[in-house]
This record gives sequence, C-alpha cells and structure tokens, in this order.
Amino acid sequence: MSQGPQERRRYELDDRGFDEVPPKYRKYYRRLEGSADTLAPNELLCPVCKVVIRSARELREGDRVYCMACLTRLRVAAGTAGYEGVVEYT
Amino acid sequence: MSESTLDLHALPPEIFLEHVHSFEFWLGSVQGYLAGRPYGHHENLAEPAFDDAERERLVTALCHYCLGETMALEGAGGLIRIAPNRPCKIFLATQTVDEGRHLEVLVHRLSELGVADPQREIEERASPALRRFRERLLAFVATGDWEAALFAQNVILEAAEFAVFHRHARSADPITRELLLGIIKDERRHIGFGENELGRRLSHRPELRQPLFAVRRELDPLVLDSFAQTLARLGTPASERAELGRDYLAAVGRLGIA
Repeated sequence: MSQGPQERRRYELDDRGFDEVPPKYRKYYRRLEGSADTLAPNELLCPVCKVVIRSARELREGDRVYCMACLTRLRVAAGTAGYEGVVEYT
Repeated sequence: MSESTLDLHALPPEIFLEHVHSFEFWLGSVQGYLAGRPYGHHENLAEPAFDDAERERLVTALCHYCLGETMALEGAGGLIRIAPNRPCKIFLATQTVDEGRHLEVLVHRLSELGVADPQREIEERASPALRRFRERLLAFVATGDWEAALFAQNVILEAAEFAVFHRHARSADPITRELLLGIIKDERRHIGFGENELGRRLSHRPELRQPLFAVRRELDPLVLDSFAQTLARLGTPASERAELGRDYLAAVGRLGIA
C-alpha cells in the first residue's frame, strides 16, 4: 500500500481465493465473510450478486468498477453506510 | 493487455461486455470451481446417515430443483434463437451448458440417495405451480418474446433458485452443500446477464416495462411460493424464508418493474 500527497491510496491486490473468474482477474474479487465483514476503502459490494469488488486504488464517488462474477458495471455512489454500487446498464 | 499492466476496472465497457459474454471467459471461470469435482462434489465426501424423513424431504427438494433446471435448460437453449445479437447468443450457449450440468448433477445426487428412477420421481413430485411456470416460459420463447422470456427465466427463475440454493446450502449435508454452492457460482452469471441485458433494453425502450409488470404479476408467485414451500419442508426457519424474495425484489426494483 502506498500514498502520495493529493493522491489516492494504492493497493497491492492479492488472490483471496475467489475462483469464479479466470485466474488473472481473481485478485479483483473476494467473498463477503459474514455480516461482520467490513469493506476496505478500495472495496465495493456488488448489489446484484453480493461479491466484494476490489480496486488497486482507493475508491471515490463517481468511479466505475466491474463485477465480472455477474457481468455488471457499477458506479460508486455515496450511501447511508459508506459507498454503494449503482448498476449502470450500459 | 498483459497481466502485469492490466487494470480491469479501466477497461472500456464494450471491451468488458464482449469478454464476459464469451466462451473464452466462461471456460476460464468454470475451471476454477468444477475441476476435480465429478458430478459437482469431491469424491471423498462421506454420505451422511439420513433417517427416512430427512431423505424424503431432500429427495422432494431435489426433484423440484430438477424441474427448475430442466425448464432453465429448455429456456436457455430456446432463447439462443431469439437473442438479438451475437454476444447474447454466445452467452446463452454457455448458460445452456451450465443448466445441462446442473440437471445432470442433481439427477446424479438423486441416484446417490438411492432413487431408482429419478425421472419418474421428478415427474411425480414436481409442484403444479412450477409446471405452470414452465409452460408459460416456453410459450414466451416459442412466440419470440425476448424480453418476457428473459425476464421470466433469468430474473424470476434464476433469482429464486439463487436464493433457495443459498439458504438450503447453509443447512445441507456436505455433498448436497458442495453441489449447490457450485451451481450458485454459475447462477451469478445468469442473474447478472438477465438484469443487465433487460436494463439496457429498458433504458432505450421504457414502454417495455408495462408488459413485464404483467409477466411479473402472473409468474413470480408461481416460483417464489413453490420454493418457499420447499424451504419450509426442509425445516428452514420462517424468518429465512421471508428473505427468499428480497434479492429478487431488489433486482426488479433496479429495473423499474417493482
């Protein structure tokens, strides 16, 4: 993990054992580990299939990420309890 | 793009969509969780000692699932012909393969449980509501109604199966649990495909929502009630059964068909 002035925090993604996408994409996803699981600043929960999406950089409102597990494109939006994923049908 | 320089989330949407609808993507995805699991589970898992009532309940649930997967197999295969473009046709070809595998592993599970004639058991135990759903789904396919057929199959049916299999897997024996969790991994792609494809069409043609309201009113009770009864027979607490339609309702809400 590294962070420079005015820059977003960056993350070194590791394979968390998510086996539902081809190997080279696995580091971008992990399973939600129960109700006590908390998301890191570079993570977003897919509202369609409930997989945790991971980015190599800290997420901000307006970012777009992909859930490969369910073929969905999401926009990062502010929610009541942190960031939420809004499905973009594009 | 090499793996070292890949930033998945920076891909253009059209590149992402083309890739995730492909057979190449499907092959790379399923290898991770199907390899080494003949008929959906590791061979070294021990068969639990069911009493007669437990076995009966499980056989009935599996028969309902088999009917659901049969209609999904017939539906996905039929949808290929009426799909509006090549990526959808190719994705549906992969879904058809998935549904065929689901049916095969569920029938095999019935055999493992000592059911001598699985096809006869499925026909005898299948709920009338699910039979009615099958008739309507196949009618939409036969008349070429892409939106209604896709909504019925990949939103209503797949979402219900996704929820039921999740809840059943929590309390299932180790073999059934592993089999169901493998199916769930396929279902993620199917529900996502249905919602995203419909969402794209509705964003361009919002007038299509009205007929989908009617499809929903007619068909979602057939599937949701049937699977709620299945969970009740399996002893799932009422509080968990009430959650059955939650994800489905969220999906139709995002599509504006709530």
